[in-house]
Amino acid sequence: MTAEFVLTDVCHTYGTGLDALDHIALTVEAGQHVAIVGANGSGKSTLLKMLDGLVFCNAGTITAFGHPLTEETLEEPAFRREFRSRVGFVFQDADVQLFCNTAFDELAFGPLQLGLGPDEVRARVAEVAGALRIEKLLDRAPYTLSGGEKKRVAIASVLTMRPQVLLMDEPTNALDPRSQVWLLDVLDQWKRAGRTVVIATHDLSAAAESCDRMIVLSEEHAVVADGAPEDVLAQRDLLLSVNLIHEHAHRHGADRHVHPHAHEHEHV
Amino acid sequence: MIPALAHISDAAPRKRSGPRSLARRTADAIGHAVAEVLENDELASSAGLMQSLDPRIKLVSVLVFSVVASFVHSLPMLLVLIVATMALAAASRVSVASFARKVWSSAGFFGLLLSAPAATAWITPGEILVSLGPLSITAPGLVIATRLIARVAVGAGFGLLVVWTTRWTDLLRALSAMGVSDLVVATLAMTQKQIMSLLRTVENMHLARESRMLSGGTARDNRGWVIERMAFVARRSMKTADDVYDAMLSRGFSGAMPSLVDLHATTRDLAWVIASVAACVLALGVDRMVFPV
Amino acid sequence: MHIPDGYLGPQTYAALDVAIIPIWVIASTRIKKTLKAKQVPLMALAAAFSFVIMMFNVPVVGGSTGHAVGAVLIAILLGPWAACISVSIALVVQALVFGDGGITAIGANCVNMAIIMPFVGYYVYRLVAGDRPGHGRRITAAGIAAYVGIVTAAIAAGVEFGLQPLLAHTASGQALYSPYPLSVAVPAMAFEHLLFFGPVEAVVTMGIVAVLARQDSALLRMKPAAKPLRWLWAAFACLVLLTPIGTLAQGTAWGEWGAQQIKATLGYIPAGLEKAGGLWTSAMPDYAPSFIANPLVGYLVAAVLGSALVIGVTWAVGRLLARNNDDSAPTVPPTDAA
Repeated sequence: MTAEFVLTDVCHTYGTGLDALDHIALTVEAGQHVAIVGANGSGKSTLLKMLDGLVFCNAGTITAFGHPLTEETLEEPAFRREFRSRVGFVFQDADVQLFCNTAFDELAFGPLQLGLGPDEVRARVAEVAGALRIEKLLDRAPYTLSGGEKKRVAIASVLTMRPQVLLMDEPTNALDPRSQVWLLDVLDQWKRAGRTVVIATHDLSAAAESCDRMIVLSEEHAVVADGAPEDVLAQRDLLLSVNLIHEHAHRHGADRHVHPHAHEHEHV
Repeated sequence: MIPALAHISDAAPRKRSGPRSLARRTADAIGHAVAEVLENDELASSAGLMQSLDPRIKLVSVLVFSVVASFVHSLPMLLVLIVATMALAAASRVSVASFARKVWSSAGFFGLLLSAPAATAWITPGEILVSLGPLSITAPGLVIATRLIARVAVGAGFGLLVVWTTRWTDLLRALSAMGVSDLVVATLAMTQKQIMSLLRTVENMHLARESRMLSGGTARDNRGWVIERMAFVARRSMKTADDVYDAMLSRGFSGAMPSLVDLHATTRDLAWVIASVAACVLALGVDRMVFPV
Repeated sequence: MHIPDGYLGPQTYAALDVAIIPIWVIASTRIKKTLKAKQVPLMALAAAFSFVIMMFNVPVVGGSTGHAVGAVLIAILLGPWAACISVSIALVVQALVFGDGGITAIGANCVNMAIIMPFVGYYVYRLVAGDRPGHGRRITAAGIAAYVGIVTAAIAAGVEFGLQPLLAHTASGQALYSPYPLSVAVPAMAFEHLLFFGPVEAVVTMGIVAVLARQDSALLRMKPAAKPLRWLWAAFACLVLLTPIGTLAQGTAWGEWGAQQIKATLGYIPAGLEKAGGLWTSAMPDYAPSFIANPLVGYLVAAVLGSALVIGVTWAVGRLLARNNDDSAPTVPPTDAA
């Protein structure tokens, strides 16, 4: 089973000299559901974008499906078409991802870019719209949709390309509770279908529930933990040191109780 | 379904005691505009005469009406055209009262202001009808001013008929089907979406400022704040452009924006075209022969 | 400055609607070359920005507010062709979605606000700012450019209005569209913008450029390196050399009659004109330096000296203002929001 992604000694800095990633080395196997967790600014979004060939590292190598993933290789039409159809990215902000005239056009965009014919495109749109139950929204302009509806359309717009790998940046962010539950159901379905999923999140409970592997990025942009969620979450001191959880202390008379917990949302 | 965000500010401005601050006025104006656009979408999806037309035909016919109207010179015919716009509005399930009100507020009011000087002897000398101190209103002046207001009302009326009975999505499909380049149509679609998004951001900015300020603030302070916010919008726009580009790349974008458009004209559209041509010929004929000017 | 439907007659609006199309085509070809695949999101965002800027209420004095167009700002950030496209898109969306602004008048509005304003503003900016301007110089240049840009556009709109009575009238001479002649429309538009909207536009443009330069200087270098303006100077030199052709024209330019010509036409000289006529003795009456005998050469010399004077004054004012505004604060490198 060839690995989906292999990262070796990947480093990335922004032009100003600020580090975004520090000597990252990891391998993602097919069918895995990986959660990359870390505090805000730890570099998880950058890492995810790197896996999608939107950002390219200054040092180190990345291969996808055994083929090097660089700015140059993505310019070859054959590899680009193959890579783009096999890897789907769901952005944190659904607004960014919805840029077409109608929801139908959103779902059709990917397949059309892949060069599929009109009938095939229409068939795929109908299939995915049915699966995500957004048929009634197809004729609407994205800016008339609610937050949850936008997320569904955003995910649908990626699914029409029939990707093997799904990358999701903060998927539960800004979702109402019902939509969050729906999303976790969807992730579950994908696991059973054998799709590879990598999500970047600071939502530890969602990560633990949906993923079978957890990678922790420190605020120094390096990997500090990599393993099964139960094992990683048990390392309380580690999680404290990377600022993923914090402790509250309060008194009951002479006793002092210390409770570590994570917040659903980032501290602004 | 109008999403919750549209209720950030009421569609009808609240009655307030005392003057509204600058921040409040701007927020209200923006909120109003956003709510109107979303309501238009609903209105344009309802069953009415103009909504049922193929958007290409509707676009072309309204353009032709506007052009024909600009060739009508007599005041009586211009008034007939105003009534015609209202009749079309009514046939399209649009409240004539709100139609008239919108035409007045968007074009009629300023038309009145701009045409008023033309009614005076200073611009149009002639037989004086009434004297108000140094200003006197002349008969030919009054005709010219009324003609201008009528023309402006007709123009605004036809424009509004397009805006209120056509969903933006259909308008873009019409443009695409009529041969406008895919890139242009895609840019138009994206622009509208970004406008709505930016407007909500700017509205919230103004509301936040309103909630934090105890007094109105000096003009200079407010101006400084407005400029800083505009710069923020500039930076945000450029960043968003980068993000959207990434999203497009991620779905395989390589420079072209093909789209599937499915528009079919029906016999109803044919009937409309025939009726429109007849109406235009009639309007021009009556204008030239019965009311020559 | 948005012109609604009904004020312009068919000759004017049709001519401008047709004229704008090839310009749009040229503009899209140009930005396709520089922006390539990124043109769609960048133009959409620039257009959205342009639209939203026009919605801000800018406090002026007391309780009064004005609005800015922002076309020159976009030209400074993205180049004049990109400004043409984005402002045009904003105007089209304004008309077709928000019901703001005429549909037949789209050509006229685009010519004024999407062509004249950004192009005039852009080249004024390049002339005043020069190559690699310092912080203060750039801001001053932006202000002057915005001012000149919007006033020029306003005058163009005034001309469009003012031509209507000449182009279309009834048999008895009544105007069929906008009834204000050039002598009313042009000064009205000009003064309104010289005194109010011009300063607003200048202050807003300068302010935004200053904030952006302080926070994100990369934004101000977004467009590709501008080609040198040598061709502009060459064109200007040609125009100066061609001025003697004016001596071939018979008669006098409209409105520039001297007292003698008025007497010949009307039969008398209005008292006020007679008094005013003697107030100022020009150094070069009738564009003919007294010491040069040949009128053509004299015309040429006057043209060269006059141009040099205008350019010199503009440059000097620019330097003076730049020195007042000069900031030696280093520009901060852009920070990426992770």
